[in-house]
Amino acid sequence: MDIKVKSACDTCAHFNAKGLKKLGVNTSNFDFVIALAGNPNTGKSTVFNALTGLKQHTGNWPGKTVTRAEGGFEYNEKKYKLIDLPGTYSLLSTSEDEEVARNFILFGKPSVTVIVVDASRLERNLNLVLQILEITDKAVLCLNLIDEATRNGIEINTRTLARDLGIPVVPTSARFNKGIPELIQTISEVASGKIWCKPHRIKNIPKNIEKAMEKLATKIEKEYPTIPNSRWIALRLLEGDTQIIKALKTQEFV
Amino acid sequence: MNTYDPLNALLIFIALSILIYFLFRPAKGWFWIIKNNYRTNEKMVIEDILKLLFHNENSGKILNTNNLTQILNFNNSLIIKSIEKMTANNFILLDGEQLKLKPLGREYALRIIRMHRLWEKFLAEKTGYDKSEWHERAEQKEHELNTEETNLLASKLGNPLFDPHGDPIPSKTGKMAIINGVALSTLPINTVGEIIHIEDEPDIIYKQILAENIHIGSHIRVTENNNTRVSFFSEGEEFKLAPIVAGNLTISILKKDIINEGNIARLSSLKKTEKAIIIGISKESRGENRRRLLDLGFVKGATVSIDLLNPLGEPNAYLIKGTAIALRNNQASKILIKKIN
Amino acid sequence: MENKNIDDILALSKELRWQIGDDFHDHLAEGIYADAAEIVGDAITKKNKKNKFSIDSKIDRIVTSKTWGFPIMFLVLAVILWLTITGANYPSSLLAKILLNDFHPLLKNLATTINTPWWLSGFLIDGVYLSVAWVISVMLPPMAIFFPLFTLLEDFGYLPRVAFNLDSLFKKSGAHGKQALTMSMGFGCNAAGVIATRIIDSPRERLIAIITNNFSLCNGRWPTQILIATIFIGATVPAAFSGIASLVAVIAIALLGIFFMFFSSWALSKTILKGEVSTFNLELPPYRPPRFWKTIYTSLIDRTLIVLWRAIIFAAPAGAVIWLISNIYIGNESVAAWIINSLDGFGFLLGLNGVILLAFIVAIPANEIIIPTILMLTVLVTGISVGNGAGVMFELDSANATGEILRAGGWTLLTAVNIMLFSLLHNPCSTTIYTIYKETKSLKWTTVATVLPVIMGLIVTFLVAQIWRIVF
Repeated sequence: MDIKVKSACDTCAHFNAKGLKKLGVNTSNFDFVIALAGNPNTGKSTVFNALTGLKQHTGNWPGKTVTRAEGGFEYNEKKYKLIDLPGTYSLLSTSEDEEVARNFILFGKPSVTVIVVDASRLERNLNLVLQILEITDKAVLCLNLIDEATRNGIEINTRTLARDLGIPVVPTSARFNKGIPELIQTISEVASGKIWCKPHRIKNIPKNIEKAMEKLATKIEKEYPTIPNSRWIALRLLEGDTQIIKALKTQEFV
Repeated sequence: MNTYDPLNALLIFIALSILIYFLFRPAKGWFWIIKNNYRTNEKMVIEDILKLLFHNENSGKILNTNNLTQILNFNNSLIIKSIEKMTANNFILLDGEQLKLKPLGREYALRIIRMHRLWEKFLAEKTGYDKSEWHERAEQKEHELNTEETNLLASKLGNPLFDPHGDPIPSKTGKMAIINGVALSTLPINTVGEIIHIEDEPDIIYKQILAENIHIGSHIRVTENNNTRVSFFSEGEEFKLAPIVAGNLTISILKKDIINEGNIARLSSLKKTEKAIIIGISKESRGENRRRLLDLGFVKGATVSIDLLNPLGEPNAYLIKGTAIALRNNQASKILIKKIN
Repeated sequence: MENKNIDDILALSKELRWQIGDDFHDHLAEGIYADAAEIVGDAITKKNKKNKFSIDSKIDRIVTSKTWGFPIMFLVLAVILWLTITGANYPSSLLAKILLNDFHPLLKNLATTINTPWWLSGFLIDGVYLSVAWVISVMLPPMAIFFPLFTLLEDFGYLPRVAFNLDSLFKKSGAHGKQALTMSMGFGCNAAGVIATRIIDSPRERLIAIITNNFSLCNGRWPTQILIATIFIGATVPAAFSGIASLVAVIAIALLGIFFMFFSSWALSKTILKGEVSTFNLELPPYRPPRFWKTIYTSLIDRTLIVLWRAIIFAAPAGAVIWLISNIYIGNESVAAWIINSLDGFGFLLGLNGVILLAFIVAIPANEIIIPTILMLTVLVTGISVGNGAGVMFELDSANATGEILRAGGWTLLTAVNIMLFSLLHNPCSTTIYTIYKETKSLKWTTVATVLPVIMGLIVTFLVAQIWRIVF
């Protein structure tokens, strides 16, 4: 066992193995909704299976889960419903998959969004992570396939990463069930509000776009003071996203 | 079964197939021709005449009735009738044989041009039609949409300023951006510039330009210009065109030091052992395709190298941000790179 | 009041968009990646300067090499097909023995002892039960072998390399390289092949792959091809070569299917699918050793059983219909005989006959029951005393005996050739049609996918029949 799993947060409460019950597809009367997002081929479905005890097929083949899959688990007497969103590279385009994923994070308002990334391809995966962090402020980064990364000489400082992203980071190797208890513990703490996230906001935006975005965002915030993602909505408006325009009109954000 | 004979059956079948072929073959099938003729009405003729007058007046030419009957592919009585109606509606002024646009007619013409160019933009961004088909389809569609639908289309496309050929799209109020460019055929040797417009008419010349794989937004340097040939260097390749073809490319002249031409190349020209930095994606890559490339990490500043060459020539796999992504050559040729050591 | 503010926001966004211009999306994407690069620079140290894992590069160099790439691919496909066909033989005949030879009479006896009326036991046991049993015994074993093998390759990461190698062939006919895999999947089951097209993320190419998947000879049709080829094609050459001749004939049909797949892909992309958006990208993921038992388990649950279940649901009513048309009489004739008579003329024109056409119509739910249905109907109209009565499908143990019945039904070599062609080129089974509808959510494309191959089949068999009759 050459995989050493370190938790991002050393003072975290310990995982309580007795409190865990995998519920499979039985997801009635849940307390929290957890969304599972990530790039294609990062082992997202494997994480889903590890959490729920289900055995969905997972291929080494980008784009396997197209339809939404649901499952659940119970931890410390709270029930969690898990939604496996389709794997996407981004949330900015208009493909069907991306719309499903985006709409769920935006309108489904999950209690926690778990973003699964491939540890050896972190940079490419962060494209999606940073977009999701613009939409929601309750997220956990699941640094999956950490064994592959270690084997290939990639070392990741999870504390720095967690600090830069402003969300908890949990290294896992879901294929071998490594790190899953820590992930569950972290999810439960974010869901219950024990961990507060302060997600990273995209900085390297050209000045003119940034100005336009801020201008719009301020106006949006005035209209909806509680909205967590005014910046992102502003960006979508600038792109002319008809769905977001419609949602604004029908006040779906409130 | 008495009358059955395999040869007869076969002949009947062949005759039927030929008939169906002539009826429904793409574009030239009789069925489509009849359908189009049926749809050709006064409105279409009027709109085509207005467009023609507008384009000609913009380049300083005045047309007369004879010109119209020669250029347009409608029957003459229909053209004459349309001219009468247009004069009555205050669209044009009939000055002897000469036809001149009045403000109302000019406004109408601009509206049609707006629809045409918006529809081309739509086809380019949101559908998979090949660019050689855009013009033809827009020629049909421009007569079908009303002003409201056009405005809706414009806002869905984000009120674009230019169509995919680089032509300005008139705004709702008829305002148009101005192109500051000159024809490639008039440029002296060593001029450096950017292709800002590719004329899509006449069709034969446009198809030649497409076949050469010349893109809007590419930077060029003229290397030869005489009566028989115009040559230029662009994105690591040399292009040679007949002057008449070069005349349909509009170039905006740049100051020489803006581009470092020696280094710029297309990703498709990258060799197995070379490395490069991405400079950008050509404007030729549009819509969903362009967004997908950006999402995959083909952004300015990213390092790229060849991961695997394909046994059949394409697609080749490029290593970008730690992952091997295979692209076809027509995609790779639209990604501009600077080779590094 | 509220709405006015929102209109203000929208108006402002329009104005700002106008100012920012066309490059907005590019700049945003670049900005996000720039942030990503900064964060990664902060948190990651690489000991290994190379960007790619060294074992992966080695495997990749072999499986995509000019010399070895293609032989390896064909070898792998051949091994999978061989394992499937030979490996399925034994369990298939065992299942057939248990479900058809042993259990079926047992059920009938049971029905007689408890005095079930003949029509009820006929309808349920001879109709519904028999067709379901048939589908299970023909379909389950090959799928239980084929899908896990395929899934293992998928999990390992080899399949994207196949798509990579073959893409330029598929590009020429307007399709995506990944169609090579959905096509191969179709050799197992077209419904599964259609589901597999989800891996193609370009709308146009995905539709092409869905519509043309039916040209892959699926495992419901392999046995038909093999049986007919053995009886009729094998008989045209000296006995020593008959095995080879029938094998060549079956392979020729499968290759013809691939040809039709390319041809219709090309035709579709040039005509009705021209306007659909088309993009291309293919990620080559790192190789990962599959977790053997887990893979076998999930592929059985996820692919084999789901497809089998759908097939059973469709096969049951088909069995009922087959039994009913053979046992309901209009005047002196059963409905089946009546339909066969009226289809005979048209069937003759195609080099087939009314029995075959009716069999293909009632067996739309499952290609597996084509041969048993044909045999039963042939016996019904010719009055030969074989089989178990009207509406009871059967198959014979020896190919010779089957051949005798078919020849008695008026079959010639032409009939055999044309039924092989028509079995390749006809509508997908109803499971596949339903799956196509679920995947495309479009009545239009479902209709195209259903009707297109039938039209091709009619044309091809018609042409073959006329030319055959002129020549011979």
